[in-house]
Amino acid sequence: MDKFLAGVDIGNSSTEVAIAKVQGTQLHFVSQYLVKTTGIKGTIDNVKGIRFALTEAAKKAEIHFHDIELIRLNDAVPVIGDLAMDLISETIITESSMIGHNPDTPGGAGLGIGTTILIDQLEKVEKSDKEFIVVVPNPFDYEIVAHLINRAMDQGTAITGAVVQKDDGVLIHNRLNKKIPIVDEVALIEKVPLSKLAAVEVALPGHVIRTLSNPYGLATVFDLDSDQTKQISLVAKALVGNRSAVVIRTPQGEVVERKIEAGKVFLKGSNNQQLSVSINDGAETLMQTYEKLESLIDVQGETGTNVGGMFNGLRQDLSLLTDQSPEEIKISDFLAVDAVIPTSISGSMAGELSMESGVALASMVKTDRIPVERVAAQLKKDTGIPVEVGGIEAEMAIRGALTTPGTGKPIVILDMGGGSTDAAMMTETGKLTSTHLAGAGDMVTMLINSELALENLELAEKIKKNPLGKVVSLFHMQLEDGTTLFSDTPFPPYTFGRVVIREEKELTPISSKASMEKIRDIRRSAKRRVFVTNALRSLKKILPTGNLKHISSVVMLGGSALDFEIPQMITEELGKYGIVAGFANIRGSEGPRNAVATGLVLSSIHKEVLR
Amino acid sequence: MPTETFSIEMNMTEIGPAAKGTNPKEVIVAIAPAFGKDMNKTIVGVDHISVLREILSGIEEQGAVPRVIRSMSTADLAFMGHGAAKLSGSGIAIGLQSRGTTVIHQRDLDPLSNFELFPQSPLITLETYRMIGRNAASYALGESPNPVPVVNDQMARPKYQAAAALLYLKECKSLVKNKKPMELKVEFSIKA
Repeated sequence: MDKFLAGVDIGNSSTEVAIAKVQGTQLHFVSQYLVKTTGIKGTIDNVKGIRFALTEAAKKAEIHFHDIELIRLNDAVPVIGDLAMDLISETIITESSMIGHNPDTPGGAGLGIGTTILIDQLEKVEKSDKEFIVVVPNPFDYEIVAHLINRAMDQGTAITGAVVQKDDGVLIHNRLNKKIPIVDEVALIEKVPLSKLAAVEVALPGHVIRTLSNPYGLATVFDLDSDQTKQISLVAKALVGNRSAVVIRTPQGEVVERKIEAGKVFLKGSNNQQLSVSINDGAETLMQTYEKLESLIDVQGETGTNVGGMFNGLRQDLSLLTDQSPEEIKISDFLAVDAVIPTSISGSMAGELSMESGVALASMVKTDRIPVERVAAQLKKDTGIPVEVGGIEAEMAIRGALTTPGTGKPIVILDMGGGSTDAAMMTETGKLTSTHLAGAGDMVTMLINSELALENLELAEKIKKNPLGKVVSLFHMQLEDGTTLFSDTPFPPYTFGRVVIREEKELTPISSKASMEKIRDIRRSAKRRVFVTNALRSLKKILPTGNLKHISSVVMLGGSALDFEIPQMITEELGKYGIVAGFANIRGSEGPRNAVATGLVLSSIHKEVLR
Repeated sequence: MPTETFSIEMNMTEIGPAAKGTNPKEVIVAIAPAFGKDMNKTIVGVDHISVLREILSGIEEQGAVPRVIRSMSTADLAFMGHGAAKLSGSGIAIGLQSRGTTVIHQRDLDPLSNFELFPQSPLITLETYRMIGRNAASYALGESPNPVPVVNDQMARPKYQAAAALLYLKECKSLVKNKKPMELKVEFSIKA
């Protein structure tokens, strides 16, 4: 009877199995399977997923589950990662003084300057050469508003612009005899101060306002001196890129950009090294400081600040996962990435958003050890099949990677998973170095989720994994590379006119106002910020010389190597150092997946690493 | 509050059979045979004038060009909407029954499919009608609006089903067999 062996690799996000038939010293791989890891990596909860994956793999191989003679489990690396994200800047309007927003359809075009006045006060205005901006709250119908404005203008009152609460801008504009710029959809119109000097600007479709988004333009409109101009420059900054805006001058009004006291990060290194960085300096400075350390022992955030909260939150999560007290948790690696987070401005009148800067953190913790033996014992009890905990994970991954046609020792692998980016190198003599870094696929998902303000991780995950398209008609769509795709069968009606995620069989519409180009840019930059940074970081760590020019090739593994653009990004980046990088093809058929599971099976037969 | 009182009046005149439109910005509103004529209120008593005006306002505000036709041979919402979409220059149309049920349709879809359907007429408010017009115009202009939020009330069906059926029967009395849709000229005027 044939002997069957199974290799099981428990990863942060997926569990992979491989089953092979043993004939003497010959191995034939018969099937493999992949499931989402059940529970946290290295806990007894994993057994459920493992059993399911083994059953499915056995079914695929057309053997019975109990025909498997030995299960080999990876000695999961005792590192666990977690993610956190927070704002480090904030814009606050202390006094209502500006409305700068992009209603879909403002009315008219141009710039109007005048004193704010309520619509029903118009007829009481005495004749003068004063100019007015009309303020129109909800109860007024557009037909009546247009009638009142027309009548007032006929009587000689100068009206230069209007601010409207309802979405009535175009309707009013179409009914006016003399055209004026109109900003509509101002939700909190009752906050607009009356009898104050104001300016209304609307740009033509496809254009952006020019005067109110320019500090000197504002100074001209409101007749400001240089000090006042400096103060108002934040208003101008917040209005850049809008199609319409209203600025009202109130004596006390000011807009402040408040830098949140985001706090300091203390990096503890070996040899009693300690460095501190203010998180307001941004992620880049933080990572540069990190590189100055020989090796990281722990990271602390300043207590009572945002970053302190972030690191404490991470510690809490990780202590729950590993059954250690929070004080014992030592952060062994972290990756900080700058992020732009759309946030609504506090004190705004029309729900204006401002793009605030933030920092995203992925961190990694060494635990005493992950109780793989417990998982092994439980698995043995549940299945009745002997379970063996195999060798070092990095070595298994390399064994698996070496089954890729065209590879050989010395070899460098880059394993890009969901929770961590790992790199390992094996020299010709079999000497192994490896490293585990925080930040991988899950961090990309988090960045996409917050930068697009989706509040939907599942959708962010889909955006990460698939290319985009825009459905132009029911029969054709524009793809993100600029080409057009025609279809014989109509696309589903709910995708009409939308940016869609092109999954293999399905189209998922994205209900965000962001354009296809914008979403694509965010997706690609998130991947670059995490994976390209980490690829360079991890390779530098495993090289004794620390110089990337000293390696010639890198084999990419793991779920994120399956991505449709990450491998290209890394190939491109490493190409600058003269490194050939490509994703693995395990056993010549599996692509970058299943390396560790394959390595586990192989190692039970050949103690030596092949090739 | 307004210091003077105004009222808004609607004037609807039939000007002959509806032709196929050529303006790519055009959105057709197809009203049912009895709308604003033999019937003048929706199932919850909202004036037809206000309903139609809100839809037309929504279309105009978004920058599209509204056109109104009256379906003569069918009072079925899906076929009214789809028939009108085929006449619409942009391929987008809104079907509107006298009881208030509404659909946004497109000419390339199957008649019983749709872009957005508002089946529970008792729950549609005037703001919703405005948004329906706005969304239809957005589709016509090639934009991607978020679907109009729809309220759902399980009790609407038992409470209104009989009334809805009766209103449909009443609507069907105004049907004229084999008659092509009629082009309507709709004007609103303000009375001080």
